[in-house]
Amino acid sequence: MMIRSLLAAGLMTAAPAFALDINLPPETALFKPSTLPGYTLVQNNCMLCHSVHYIQSQPPASPRAYWEATVKKMKKPFGATFADADIPDMVDYLVKTYGAERPPATKPAAAK
Amino acid sequence: MATKALVLTAEALRRRSFLRQAGTLGAAAAFGSPALDALAAEAGRVTLPFENGERELVAYPQKRPLILLTARPPQLETPFSVFNESAITPNDAFFVRYHWSGIPTSIDPQTYRLRVGGNVNTPLELSLSDLRQMADATELVAVVQCSGNSRGHFEPRANGGQLSNGAMGNARWTGVPLRKVLEKAGVKAGSVQVAFNGLDTPPLGDGPDFVKALNLDHALDGEVMLAWQMNGADLPMLNGYPLRLIVPGYYGTYWVKHLSDITVTDKVFDGFWMSTAYRIPDNQCACTEPGKAPAKTVPINRMNVRSFITSLANGAHVKTGRQTVVRGIAFDGGYGVNEVAFSADGGKTWQAAQLGKDLGKYSFREWSAAFTPKQKGSHELLVRAVNRIGQGQPAGALWNPPGYMRNVVESTRIVAV
Repeated sequence: MMIRSLLAAGLMTAAPAFALDINLPPETALFKPSTLPGYTLVQNNCMLCHSVHYIQSQPPASPRAYWEATVKKMKKPFGATFADADIPDMVDYLVKTYGAERPPATKPAAAK
Repeated sequence: MATKALVLTAEALRRRSFLRQAGTLGAAAAFGSPALDALAAEAGRVTLPFENGERELVAYPQKRPLILLTARPPQLETPFSVFNESAITPNDAFFVRYHWSGIPTSIDPQTYRLRVGGNVNTPLELSLSDLRQMADATELVAVVQCSGNSRGHFEPRANGGQLSNGAMGNARWTGVPLRKVLEKAGVKAGSVQVAFNGLDTPPLGDGPDFVKALNLDHALDGEVMLAWQMNGADLPMLNGYPLRLIVPGYYGTYWVKHLSDITVTDKVFDGFWMSTAYRIPDNQCACTEPGKAPAKTVPINRMNVRSFITSLANGAHVKTGRQTVVRGIAFDGGYGVNEVAFSADGGKTWQAAQLGKDLGKYSFREWSAAFTPKQKGSHELLVRAVNRIGQGQPAGALWNPPGYMRNVVESTRIVAV
């Protein structure tokens, strides 16, 4: 880093000489445990390509139609290779865990 | 147990993607500085002001703790208080947005090459040194803003990245005009667009690579730029090291990072990220009735006008009977903001704000306005801007299905005590 700073300060016109390497922080987000059959499927099928944040940050009122369209989009055109037969259980877990069909008791306090 | 296996899968995937990148680049990191780790940071959390807005603050390499939207790929939002520090957004606070998890984490600038091809007379393979010698370096201050900045504030909510207002930043970019590079390659007659690809890749083979395109006349306008520096330093890795496309006035989706391939096309480029994603309603307001799909769409393009108060957040306290100078920023799609108005009474009366230093028509423009709360209690502060061609901001929020281009007049509620 010191060499890099000196270069930046002294030789603004020269291209950087050394490789830049970064280590990303560990990924810690996990799916909410569930007895629904989709729980294992989403761990295998979703986390292969992206972190759970994509799912857990969606608006909690997101309806079944949203989750179904999104799971299908991950296959086509996005290239995920899970079986079509996995889709109904995945959608069911997602909408009941993160979406509009969560059991009332687990819903966070309603937005003001 | 399942979890452990999955973590390994993710690691393996990252390694595989690294190897693929390294293969492309030659023996990356053969020598040089050790890998940069994230700075140790105290665990922090923030709650963005919409339902399900709880987020972690995490420090990524070359970054201070930022609001974590997603970890893989990294997507980081700038805490809004940063915008009150200066009109230029520091590199270590600059937001990060990726589409695919196959991102480069090791790049050797010595072996890095930019390929220019397609409908040209002379295909090129340029090193970073070649680029620097191609023309005198130009500098430009310009805002880059995510198309979906502020999506989390949409009502009804729109699915997608749930961002508050921090997916934007303003930097001084250093590089060469794209026109110089295209002139050197020689664009053939009959060319229509120019497509741009970077080193990021879909994690699975069949996903559509993230490629964006500009019309040829836009690409040749002399302002679109290939930049290797922001704010006087090499680009941070997560902001596109070592080379990024700068498209002044346009949404960030066009600002391709780790730029590796420029392809001149003889027809309109129809990749997924142009023909299906990043489309807006084809009407004056880029809006639809909430919940409704548009009849016709076009690719998102130039940014609309926005303005923010940065010196006071919702719930802030000020002294009754004492003058407070309220400060903020305004920007647009490159015509330049030339008028900012401030209201301290929820829009009943407005006063002209004073504009700060002009850093160029693509930059944040700082503004300030003084007011003295006469009564204790809640005050609703509003700000609205107008640009040089008379575009302003709507008093009520507009809506579209993908949650793009929010630019409603922002309201900040404070308390005089």
